[in-house]
Amino acid sequence: MGFQGDFFQLLKEQGYQFDIPTSNLGGHGHTAQPPITQGTTVLALKYRDGVLVAGDRRATAGNMVMYDRTDKVLEIDRYCVMAIAGVPATAFEMARVLEHSFKYFRRSQLQDLSFEGKLRALSKLLKENAPAALAGTGAVVPVFAGYDPQQGCGKIYFHDILGAEFEGVDHAMSGSGSPTIRGILHYLNRWSGQPLATLPEEEATVIILRLLTSAAEFDSATGGVNYEANLYPIIKRITEKGVETIPSEHLKTLYTSKVAQYV
Amino acid sequence: MYEEPYRWVEAVENRRQYLDDQFRQGSPLVAMSSVDGIVLVTTSHGTPKLYEIYDRIGLGGMGHPADLEKLRFSILDMAHVEGFQRSPADVNGSRLIKYGLAPVIKQAFEEIFKAPYITKLLLADMGTLSNQDRYFTVDYDGTFEEYNDMAVLGASSTIQDTMRTYLKSQVTPVASTFQAVLEVAVRAWALGALSQSQDNDNTEASSSEKQKNDQSSDSFSEEQILEHLKTVLTEKTLECAVLERNTPGTSKYRTVDQQELHSLLPLLNQTTN
Repeated sequence: MGFQGDFFQLLKEQGYQFDIPTSNLGGHGHTAQPPITQGTTVLALKYRDGVLVAGDRRATAGNMVMYDRTDKVLEIDRYCVMAIAGVPATAFEMARVLEHSFKYFRRSQLQDLSFEGKLRALSKLLKENAPAALAGTGAVVPVFAGYDPQQGCGKIYFHDILGAEFEGVDHAMSGSGSPTIRGILHYLNRWSGQPLATLPEEEATVIILRLLTSAAEFDSATGGVNYEANLYPIIKRITEKGVETIPSEHLKTLYTSKVAQYV
Repeated sequence: MYEEPYRWVEAVENRRQYLDDQFRQGSPLVAMSSVDGIVLVTTSHGTPKLYEIYDRIGLGGMGHPADLEKLRFSILDMAHVEGFQRSPADVNGSRLIKYGLAPVIKQAFEEIFKAPYITKLLLADMGTLSNQDRYFTVDYDGTFEEYNDMAVLGASSTIQDTMRTYLKSQVTPVASTFQAVLEVAVRAWALGALSQSQDNDNTEASSSEKQKNDQSSDSFSEEQILEHLKTVLTEKTLECAVLERNTPGTSKYRTVDQQELHSLLPLLNQTTN
């Protein structure tokens, strides 16, 4: 018997196995291992009204672009999202487990799971996934962000592949394009004259579009903006109203007026 | 002693009488479709009697709270495991009730050496369009019934018929707004509670008094219904939940708080004065 309202425990009792059995996948560092699909470059930053979370849309396997319309900013519930870098197969499954777990907790215990409780649930899944992550077949490095209605503020956390959680006070990022934007965000936050957390939504959105365009410039696995194909990153705002997606038409306007002309 | 068939039938009959008695003081329950979604109404003593089960499914119940909790957890487990292992689109009220809960309740009812579930359940399953809403009721013996636009729970089938007739006479469910349906649902609830209370008085009264007191439930005036609501709400809380058809996100269930109820229902402000 697990904790009350523990959906993951219930699934296990029904015979569900979360982790991928790594022993059947060719062993550690085996040269014949097929390229695994990966997703890249997600970021979250606090702005005036809450948190903005963004992700490019490219999924790659080795040198190949698998897909250019991936949604890596996964809505888990009304107030939080998980932005994923790493193996989408595992990350999507984690998101599904979390989404059902939070709903199950709320519906069975008649109260919302706390933000800390949600973070802990994600850490537990990452820990369960450690063997697959270390074998190179299922590493997921998520950024978990949301609005805490109990405390009335936005929160950002990032994780390592084993499940350790770290708070990103102003911002956090993950994926192969993240080293490029990490330095820029640090610089902007300290010396641009206005801390990120005080920016209005539009200015913060323009910064995100510029950051992802920069990441795509230096990292072949990051999609950035594809103007010809009318493909824009996924950007979600999380405020006291909950999670909302910024429409791509709006991103197009901002990109055309504030990003493209400077490139 | 129960090996003989007639003894078993007798035992089941005793059990029916026992269970019927248990629901006499229970709070009726009304669920009805509107253009905007489904409205569920009952009253409670603090412990809620209306619950969220899945994205588009709500549950209400009468009876013993512990039994209600046990069955609620069982249906929650079923819905969530199915929704996860298959898809949320595959979770529907029909299968949860017909293949999930009803057989369990029937089995408990007929195992005469064990305690039955003292519960009547109502499950509301909201469709994409208002004419796709489905309602299911399960009686304490596992008998289930399916309805389209509305469903009610009451102490007896006669009281349920009275409430349904009243609802049908007042509004066209699928064509009315949330507020209109809510008001009629609250009145129908009060009519059910009033009819139950009269039945209880008659059971306790002698036959001569019974004749004197007997008032056909369809002859209760709107004033009597409101007066009864006023009396009940001095001790109990009106509880309301909605399944909202057009709300963003996957979870459509929401509990309506007291402040919102009072702003939506002018009749409440009259009765609580």
